[in-house]
Amino acid sequence: MIDSDFTEIFGELLAEHETEEDLLGVLAELVPGSGLLLVVEDGTRLQAGIPLVLPAATEEALRAALPPLDAPPSSPLVAPVAQRLGSGWVYALTMERLAGVLFWMIPGGTDMTSEPAGEALLRNTLLYALGEQERRETAAQEAQFRRQIEVLKQQHGRLIEDNYRQYRINREKEQEYARTLESEIARQTAELREANVRLEEGSRLKSEFLANMSHELRTPMNAIIGFAELLADTTLDASQQEYCRTIRQSSATLLALINDILDLAKIEAGRLELEIVSFSLDELLESVAAMFKLAVRDKGITLQVRRDPALPDFFRGDSHRLRQVLTNLVGNAVKFTDRGAVELLVEPVSPPAATGQERLLRFMVRDSGIGIPAHRLEAIFEKFTQADGSTTRRFGGTGLGLAICRQLVALMGGQISVESGEGQGSTFSFSVSLPVAEAAAPAPATTTATGRAGPVVGGRRVLLVEDNPVNQRLASLMTSKQGCDPVVAADGLEALERLREEEFDLVLMDVQMPRMDGLAATREIRAIESDPGRRGEYASLAGRSEPIPVVGLTAHARSEDEQACYAAGMDAFLSKPIVRERLVAVLTDPGGKA
Amino acid sequence: MYDAQQIVRKFSDIKTLPHVAFRVNQLVKDDQATMHDFEEVIKLDPVLVTRLLRLVNSPYFGLVQKVESISKAVVFCGLKQLRNLVTVEALRGMFKGDGERFSREKLWLHSATVAILAEMIAKRIFGLDGEDVFLAGIIHDVGLVAEDQVAGEELRLAADAMRRGEGLLLECERRYLGTDHCETGALLAKEWKLSDQVFKAIRYHHDDRKTFTLPSVPAIIVLADFMAFKMQYNPVPGAPVPSLPPVLARHVKSMMANYKIIVRDLPAEMEKARELYRTDD
Repeated sequence: MIDSDFTEIFGELLAEHETEEDLLGVLAELVPGSGLLLVVEDGTRLQAGIPLVLPAATEEALRAALPPLDAPPSSPLVAPVAQRLGSGWVYALTMERLAGVLFWMIPGGTDMTSEPAGEALLRNTLLYALGEQERRETAAQEAQFRRQIEVLKQQHGRLIEDNYRQYRINREKEQEYARTLESEIARQTAELREANVRLEEGSRLKSEFLANMSHELRTPMNAIIGFAELLADTTLDASQQEYCRTIRQSSATLLALINDILDLAKIEAGRLELEIVSFSLDELLESVAAMFKLAVRDKGITLQVRRDPALPDFFRGDSHRLRQVLTNLVGNAVKFTDRGAVELLVEPVSPPAATGQERLLRFMVRDSGIGIPAHRLEAIFEKFTQADGSTTRRFGGTGLGLAICRQLVALMGGQISVESGEGQGSTFSFSVSLPVAEAAAPAPATTTATGRAGPVVGGRRVLLVEDNPVNQRLASLMTSKQGCDPVVAADGLEALERLREEEFDLVLMDVQMPRMDGLAATREIRAIESDPGRRGEYASLAGRSEPIPVVGLTAHARSEDEQACYAAGMDAFLSKPIVRERLVAVLTDPGGKA
Repeated sequence: MYDAQQIVRKFSDIKTLPHVAFRVNQLVKDDQATMHDFEEVIKLDPVLVTRLLRLVNSPYFGLVQKVESISKAVVFCGLKQLRNLVTVEALRGMFKGDGERFSREKLWLHSATVAILAEMIAKRIFGLDGEDVFLAGIIHDVGLVAEDQVAGEELRLAADAMRRGEGLLLECERRYLGTDHCETGALLAKEWKLSDQVFKAIRYHHDDRKTFTLPSVPAIIVLADFMAFKMQYNPVPGAPVPSLPPVLARHVKSMMANYKIIVRDLPAEMEKARELYRTDD
């Protein structure tokens, strides 16, 4: 390890007798006016203070008087000896740490060594001077400590500053991060909102499109079905009758398909709303069964309808949609069953409830048909899917029915489920909660059908307002077939003109027309009727005690269109394509009060 | 024959100041740097992390609390101190190899002595933090390592010539290598982007024509270098002691008592810093 000492390193910086000269300097300062001479052992003579000229004899005498250095072991300082010199005294001193003899001339008349106090003064002054160097080192040491402490304090201060700076930088970074995060979230939210608006707009446009498409499709369908029916009533040979029947069946299928697609579109656009009315459970079940009477008989299977006799008859709910679901399920069951039976069952799940309270009902359609493989059980509820691809070819259908059923049941708060196995028949069931009702409200006018060919409603003058020439012709033929006398007007304005000039018993009013549409025309008619001043001018309106019946005609099969017709003041509503039975019913009793 | 550029270029190919030390030096100058940035850089070298924590917890720092993470070490020691430790660690690996004619290990001991002495002088005499002089001390002779790497035989011949009394080490280096360790070391300092004061200390620590006033880093390094020579901690075996510039001699003379204390306390300080410079692992 390192053990060099100071003189080894800095020796060459030191004068030979630097320490001794230092000492003399200190003594000269301590006792001003005195003269100092140090004769070092090697003979070097060092001087300080006032110049001291020491006669050789005096020096010799003093030296001789000095006791040997090792004489008094107790004290390092040998007692001084003195000689008179000029105006003062010269003292000779020696000591271990001095490595020489010190001659010290101090002015004054008294020999200080003659008294103990004077001797002590001399000795202690020398000791003090010798200690001065140690004191300087102590002071230097202390100063170094102080500086080191200062450095530590500075470093500490800088550490604190630095740590605070870091803390601040970190805080700023965090804040910056938070700000970026916030603005990023805001930006994304805005983007999402915008995307959402676009999606909603897209969805709305899609619904619009579907509604319009359905209108566009229904108009020609109207003509096809109508004219096919008219054609069937003419004299046809056997093969012509066959063709005509095929046309009618196909167009009926196409119409059902269009209705399915429209329903699905409405459900998916969230625009299908349930219409809650009071209805009779028995009537509902019977009407479903009635629809399949012929099909069941043709296939040689049976259709059994049973309901728990403990159940009340009247409930509140969307009977129309409920019928749609059941018709679909029974229709499927009949379609896929070649032997055995199809059952339609209704049973209570919850205990009996009072009027107005809800009752949970389970509807079940069970068949002994071909069944569904286990791995297809979920898929059959998807759109455009059947148990397998070949089913479509064998049994027909679009695969939309069950998808619609599932959605409709969900809308009613239930869930449709199926149990089946290949070749083991299928059971479709769902449960919905329906409030128990007092009695059913009168059935809507549009659904009352009276007989097939129906009685002829002869002799009535009918104003047919319709812009489409094909439909004009069809409706004219259909109404005249019922023994009515139709007059055609091409739009609302023309209709008003006819009503002014001639007398009519009934108006069949298309909704969409140029110049003045059906809704505006109807509102105008009702306005004229309630205005005694104008009423007299209109031949059709003047003599009547009651408002003239106006029946709306539209290819828009949406319920909001129907509502719009009633709101405009129409008495009834026929959706195109016109079904003959409904036409008859409306012609017979436009207000549906029959 | 080489010039300093060639030596540095060849040296850099083999031994660059490790990436970590370089990044840390940059971080010290960046006032936006945080202890996390520091930790990120140092974490890249797991051995370094262990060594640093051992150093931070050694008697040299005298911390009361045991420091167990780099970010905490930054909190307690400060960026500059840590920068020095990282540099020491980075350089330590370069100072391996012993020999009669030239010994990198003896050079390392010389460098460590100069660094510790320089730090003592800065702190005790001038009340300065001593962090830059420490770095300068540990790195002031790095040019010799580069020369040894690239032109080891020439360096040994130069050292032999110096020992035969054919001139100062610097003169012999120029004769056999075409350059000297001050020049090569300075180029390395520039490449490593060390501070201007550290650069000057390396460049001019044997240049009599340049006078630096105390307490500048170069002046303190010249003084500490002189003292280390006197203590027989020579950079090259048998190198004669350089002369102490008069201005420094006057300074020491005027502060005798102070330097006596420094010389007296040096062994204890070296002992405390042992962990810093020992090469036995």
